[in-house]
Amino acid sequence: MKDIFGAPPQVPLRPPGTVMRLSRMGAMFPTRLSFLRSLMRRLAAEQVKVTQRDWQMCEDGFGHAVFSVDLGGYTYSLVAISTDLPPELRTDRVIATAWDSAYVLFDGIPDSDDIARIKANAPLQEAGRFGPRDLILSRANKSVRLFAHVVEALRAGRQPDADMIRDVGYLMRTTAVYGNGKFGIADRASFDTREGLEGPFAAEMLTVWLIRHFTHALVEHVGQGTLERETKRHLGIGNSTGLGMAPFLVNHPVLLNNWMLARETALARVLAVEVLTQAQKARIEVLANRATAHLAQWNVPDPAHQARIETLRSDWAEAVQYLSADKLDAPHALSSAMHSTQNMSEDVQELLASLLIEPFGKLVDGLTECMADPYGAFAPPLCDTEKLKAQIEAEFDWALGVDYDAPAHCGQFWYVSEAKMEPRLGLRFSEEGAGLESPLDIGRRVACAYADLPAQSEPVSAFLTRHPDHALAVERVALSQRYAYAEIRDNLICESCLPIDMLRCKLSFFGASKFDPKSDRWTRITLCQGAPLADELSEGVADDWWLPVFGS
Amino acid sequence: MTRSVNEVTGLAVKAARGAGAPPAQAAQFGAAAVVHICAGRDVQVLGAALDALPAGPIIEYPLVLARIAEAQVEGIAEGAFEVDEEELARSYIEALPCQASLTTDCVLHLDLNRPAERRQLPRIELPDEVHAKWSALAAKLLVPESDASRISGAGAGLTDND
Repeated sequence: MKDIFGAPPQVPLRPPGTVMRLSRMGAMFPTRLSFLRSLMRRLAAEQVKVTQRDWQMCEDGFGHAVFSVDLGGYTYSLVAISTDLPPELRTDRVIATAWDSAYVLFDGIPDSDDIARIKANAPLQEAGRFGPRDLILSRANKSVRLFAHVVEALRAGRQPDADMIRDVGYLMRTTAVYGNGKFGIADRASFDTREGLEGPFAAEMLTVWLIRHFTHALVEHVGQGTLERETKRHLGIGNSTGLGMAPFLVNHPVLLNNWMLARETALARVLAVEVLTQAQKARIEVLANRATAHLAQWNVPDPAHQARIETLRSDWAEAVQYLSADKLDAPHALSSAMHSTQNMSEDVQELLASLLIEPFGKLVDGLTECMADPYGAFAPPLCDTEKLKAQIEAEFDWALGVDYDAPAHCGQFWYVSEAKMEPRLGLRFSEEGAGLESPLDIGRRVACAYADLPAQSEPVSAFLTRHPDHALAVERVALSQRYAYAEIRDNLICESCLPIDMLRCKLSFFGASKFDPKSDRWTRITLCQGAPLADELSEGVADDWWLPVFGS
Repeated sequence: MTRSVNEVTGLAVKAARGAGAPPAQAAQFGAAAVVHICAGRDVQVLGAALDALPAGPIIEYPLVLARIAEAQVEGIAEGAFEVDEEELARSYIEALPCQASLTTDCVLHLDLNRPAERRQLPRIELPDEVHAKWSALAAKLLVPESDASRISGAGAGLTDND
């Protein structure tokens, strides 16, 4: 951790064996360390202004626009292209070939040639070709129902229906936000030392926030009216995310470690606070009530997930009793509150963890500087098989003792589809393709390596000479010496593995809320809901939008 | 046409896997391949390494590097890097995540306590024939879609007019 010298006191971290279980990762909520939150603080600190440089839209809202921001000494521009999409082509799936809108975050201010090039390529998305000044590529589809309603209301000279604003929460949702060199765009390494874009996914989050700004401008243009400020602030940007996001957490173990470690360290610092000030107690009460209201406004169509939300509402009502004024007067009140929920659901525990971190910006915000991974996977080698064995038993015990030949424990397999070259999850015993399985089965791989270890210790290189297929397992075990939170401690190929849990973990780090799962492998979410508008980047407003509530 | 470093790295990794390399070795090859190309070294060497699978440098170099590293004392290691195809070997060394240097008499020094310094690799002009060959190898990993996978594989609905 960067601030290790003079770091605040902290209680022991929650162990990886608790934190890195898939079900708990699938219960995570956004925190003030989430990437959108830290980006907003940065934008506010620089008093960033959004400049509309170009607006070439017909009255129905089709055309292009350019918005620019100055950040960290550089100018970035969102080039937005809005097209007339026939309804039959509107799908959130990655196999789509057309979208309502397409975007490029451009490095600098685009000239007419740049705009012409982007207009020709961005609507093609994966089939287009991009260059080093194109930092991020994205696309979004309208929530047709809400967009049309808002247009109709504005044209009639009234504000849109509050219930619809609350229930949908966005005018458009992105279905992909591509970064790091995809389709020829800039490598992240080419700009990740720039101030303001150092953090993970910072350029992606900047793009998302600017897209949200564009959707507000577009609907006001077509509706020929102005949305009330509170309504506009509650209109975030939706996102539809499928399996393509899931392997990222497995393929970037150091990044996952750094994210989780930062969050757990933040919680450990907060739980070490001995006595709360009056202001802190008041803030916790406000946030607890806000969480209650947020849960009340979080409704989804899926019956199973709606039932889970309703259970959480009920459990949360019990949990907030541990945050009552008299309880908060006691020493170590936050630690006591967290301890009191240890027999409650993971949903409640993770919501409480997220809440407790929120009032303590001065204590935890510096940790966001530790969430990137500038050096890549780097760990000392395990020199002999005796050390390898001991490390497996210490850190991968969760992977041992599983019968990976049993259908229940290997019933699914990860692969890459030929059609879109995107990750997919198949059923091993009823679908073709298991022979081309992607190596996300870390638990099984480590268990297989463990089973092949020799009785007598030998150099690991000698072991790998006989078993080159175990190199990935050895690499992951070596990483575990330095990165305790690098591994999802569950079997990712078992029949009961729910990829949605991986998605929620990653999306919570983005700052997503209102998770709306459509199946166990894709979800809709809302980003930037409650986030400051472009003209609200004064620090007070910019940093108080954890679990936003509309109309209260 | 220039390509991003990440594009070429990813393609090289997939090509190695498609040619039969295990995942970890394929990843090391990908990292070395972009260093190799950006250094202006012979691209044909990369093709030869892929052709040599399941043997050859893609399997051997990681083992040589592991042997040297595991002889470390307090994070410092050194050993002879006596392998053929020196150019690719050099790219493997330069792609290591730790500080590394190779003497003129082919002794490799590793400092396992210090990460390698970050380098900004330039965008890459990958020859068309190399791109075609690597793409063909990478395609061996792809699973054709079936009706079942199209409906359930990503889990999403087919239209989203809401």
